[in-house]
Amino acid sequence: MLGKIAWRNVWRRRGRSIVIICSVAIGLWAGLFVTSFYFGFAEERIRSAIEMEISHVQLHHPEFKKERDVRFTIPRTGELLKWLSTNPYVQHVSGRLTGRGMIASASGNSGIQINGVTPRDEDTLTKLASKLVEGKYFPGTRNNEILIGKKLSQKLKVKVGSKLVLTMQDKAGSIASGAFKVVGVFATKNTPYDEMNVFAARNDLAIMLGDSLAITEIALLLNSQDSVDAFVRIAKARYPALLVEGWRTVAPEMDLVISVIDQMMYIFMGIVLLAMAFGIVNTMLMAVLERTREIGMLIALGMRRSRVFAMIVLETFFLMLAGTPIGMVLAWATILYFGNHGIDISAFQETLRSFGYSDVIYPKLGLYQYGQVLILVALTAFISALLPARKALKLEPAEAIRK
Amino acid sequence: METVIDSHNISKVYEETAIPVHAVSEIHLHLERGEFTALVGPSGSGKTTLLNLIGGLDRPTTGYVEIGGVNITKLKDNQLIDFRLNNIGFIFQSYNLIPVLTASENIEFIMLLQGRSKSERETRVHELLRQVGIEDKHDVRPAQLSGGQQQRVAVARALASKPRFMLADEPTANLDSVAAGNLLDIMAKLNREENMTFIFSTHDARVIDRARRVITLQDGRVISDERYAQK
Ligand SMILES: Nc1ncnc2c1ncn2[C@@H]1O[C@H](COP(=O)(O)OP(=O)(O)OP(=O)(O)O)[C@@H](O)[C@H]1O
Ligand SMILES: [Mg+2]
Repeated sequence: MLGKIAWRNVWRRRGRSIVIICSVAIGLWAGLFVTSFYFGFAEERIRSAIEMEISHVQLHHPEFKKERDVRFTIPRTGELLKWLSTNPYVQHVSGRLTGRGMIASASGNSGIQINGVTPRDEDTLTKLASKLVEGKYFPGTRNNEILIGKKLSQKLKVKVGSKLVLTMQDKAGSIASGAFKVVGVFATKNTPYDEMNVFAARNDLAIMLGDSLAITEIALLLNSQDSVDAFVRIAKARYPALLVEGWRTVAPEMDLVISVIDQMMYIFMGIVLLAMAFGIVNTMLMAVLERTREIGMLIALGMRRSRVFAMIVLETFFLMLAGTPIGMVLAWATILYFGNHGIDISAFQETLRSFGYSDVIYPKLGLYQYGQVLILVALTAFISALLPARKALKLEPAEAIRK
Repeated sequence: METVIDSHNISKVYEETAIPVHAVSEIHLHLERGEFTALVGPSGSGKTTLLNLIGGLDRPTTGYVEIGGVNITKLKDNQLIDFRLNNIGFIFQSYNLIPVLTASENIEFIMLLQGRSKSERETRVHELLRQVGIEDKHDVRPAQLSGGQQQRVAVARALASKPRFMLADEPTANLDSVAAGNLLDIMAKLNREENMTFIFSTHDARVIDRARRVITLQDGRVISDERYAQK
């Protein structure tokens, strides 16, 4: 019956309660939507980083990553590549000969990462061909073809057909260089990546470095992102001499993106809920004040103070929770809609690209986040109830009734 | 004879004001079971204060109150609340009922606080509504009841807890004379048929007429205490 009284009390001041319910609903709606937007942002960033830069799993010689030195090649690649290409977890494989190097044009030079790839394998792995904005994807009409990022092409003032000189240290530590011709220019969603990477055929690079079998990096896409841990465990056991890393280890900053967004959600929802809390505390204090006589009468009749407290807490809960499902359903529907259709933020494209973000965001929110927000709402309701409920339980019946 | 209320030399002084107010001074009050007592006196004479003291709503500055042999002045807050719930039926002047509950829910509420079973509550609510003559209004909220009907629900609710005595502070003050008369009829009948003890304050001469004992207060002291034969 306490619940019944509390619920009906919510509706005594219909207008006032509706204002609170609407503000809770709108606040949650906005809060959840903005959060989902950021999660979509992060998701998109991770997806494109996996697709283009890090793949699901990478294999290296354990020393390779320190200097990205071509001396540290992966041993016995033939057997390894065969095992990988028949492994049920693995979908695509690309073996690369990568390393630090310099690129020079007539008008400048730049330190870069040189990726020697097998064109077909690389395209199935990273869909590199689809990123081309000019030229062709390794037409194979001549030796020493090279693809460069758009940003780099601007920096070096080169275009399709231009000649470039690549310089790297070979296995023996002496300088090797070769002339390459630009056959294509690519642009990913990540400008810094485009400035830092060039792609050449692995064979051409191997010849330049004098080691025809050299592979320094193997990148894999698995059949699912969820298999990464399982696969890494198996591969590590089989090749203990290699460094086998899942994408979280390869790019720890990706995990950071997620945890930052998670914290942002708490901060953002915290602010929204704090604003609501003020409204609710105020409303409930007014309600207690208006009902001084009535509450005094209840204590006089024999209602324990703990029950009075519970009654006010319940009423606050009902007041707040009445708006919660409305806000959540609105948010869910909006997120569902934009999650499918995407939000085009190309107006801010330039800035975002320099951080590696794409221009269509698909808002996304997991059940887990809804649950967390629900807990936050309940916590807010409880905290907001404390002051009014305390006021109510401190009432002295004799005085309250005289009022 | 069974003693219901025994107040031992109780006084109440309000000290919040610049000059302390002696609202009730050195009152010995002794009420037996079955008494039908009116508390009268001019405004400010201490009627409400005295009723609050013997009803356990307030604590005396000095002296103590015994109800059915229990010294309620010594009880802790929660014990006192429970004591009121189980021993005293309250009828106030106004705002008696919980506005969001129907007549029968208001009556049931007190029994719920007492932890009585659902079947007991239901039969008793029915019987009580019949006793005060408003069965047809059982499903109506207080705002839709007349003042007299509201006070009858209040009487039924006070009875619901099976109290030792009923305490009413100006129960007819907001009623017209017909409604006041009807309420007094119900109270008198309960007194006569169930030997229920009543103590109520009033200004109304017609109500005073119905009492069998009239205690008059002035400046917080009893100035007369008279018993009348059955009327
Ligand atoms: N909380 C309080 N603080 C200070 N003085 C009080 C307080 N409550 C009552 N009084 C004073 O105590 C005295 C007795 O008041 P009380 O309400 O008991 O009188 P009453 O006989 O019930 O009057 P009425 O017929 O007007 O209801 C009055 O002088 C009143 O002003
Ligand atoms: Mg009074």
